[in-house]
Amino acid sequence: MDDFQSGDETSFVVDEVSSIIKEAIESAIGGNAYQHSKVNQWTTSVVEQTLSQLTKLGKPFKYIVTCVIMQKNGAGLHTASSCFWDNSSDGTCTVRWENKTMYCIVSAFGLAI
Amino acid sequence: FSLTEVLAVVRKWSKGLESQQNLNVVKECFSDSMKTKLLSFKANRVKIRYANTYRLEPHNKFRDYLVRDKAQAILTNKLQQAKYDGVSSRSLCASISEEILKAVKELDFDRYKYVVSVLIVEKAGQAINVASRWVWDAQRDTWVSAKCETETFIALALVMACYYE
Repeated sequence: MDDFQSGDETSFVVDEVSSIIKEAIESAIGGNAYQHSKVNQWTTSVVEQTLSQLTKLGKPFKYIVTCVIMQKNGAGLHTASSCFWDNSSDGTCTVRWENKTMYCIVSAFGLAI
Repeated sequence: FSLTEVLAVVRKWSKGLESQQNLNVVKECFSDSMKTKLLSFKANRVKIRYANTYRLEPHNKFRDYLVRDKAQAILTNKLQQAKYDGVSSRSLCASISEEILKAVKELDFDRYKYVVSVLIVEKAGQAINVASRWVWDAQRDTWVSAKCETETFIALALVMACYYE
C-alpha cells in the first residue's frame, strides 16, 4: 500500500479545456469574416467540435458548452454565470476570441459524475 | 507503512555517505505537526465514499415550469426600468445570476447541481447567435431559458440542472 499515491485525475483541468476550445474556434471560424447566413452553422460546429474533443478525454464528467457569436458593432455584451456544484471536482473555462468583424465567447462547464 | 519503515526501505536502496546524510536531514524535518499536515492533505485528496442509498431517482424531481416562471419573474422585475448602461449592466448581470441561483436553490429539488448563465446584449442593430450543447443524462438533466426584452437591450437567462448522486 503506497501512501503517497496520487489518485486518478478526476478534476477539471482548466488549461487542457481552454486549449481544446481555442483549437475548435480556430478551425471553425479561423479566418472568416462575419456572415449572417453562416453564423448558425459556425456556432453549432464550434460547440460540437468542443464537445466531441472534451468527451474524447475520457473523464467521468458531464459537459455543458455555450457559444455566443456577436457581430462587431460597438454594442456592449455582458455575460455572467453562477453555479451550484462541488468546487473540488467541478470547474468552468471561458474563452474570448475576436477578429475584425465578430466576437466569439465560449464557456465550458464540467460537472463530475 | 509508517514513516520509519519507508525510510528503512529508502535506506536499503541508497548507497554512499551523502544519501545517508540526506536521510537524516529528512527524518529531522518530519516533526509531529508536519505528519498531521501530511495526513490531512492525504485525506483531502482521497475521494469521500458514501454509503449506498440504493435510490436512483431524486425525491423531489426538478420541475422546469416552476423554474421558468421564477427566472422570468426575476428578469422582468429587475429589468423593466433599467436602461442599458456600460458600467451598471455588469453588476446587474452578476446580481441577476446570483438571484436566480438562490431562487432555484430555495425550490429545494434534491440531488441537483445547477449552472445559471445570464447574457445582457445591447441593441444596436447587430446580430447575435447563441448556441449550447451538452453531454449529460437525458432522462434526468434538463434546462430552462427565460428572456426579457426592452427598448435598449435583451436579457437571456439559462438555467441548467444536472442530477448528481
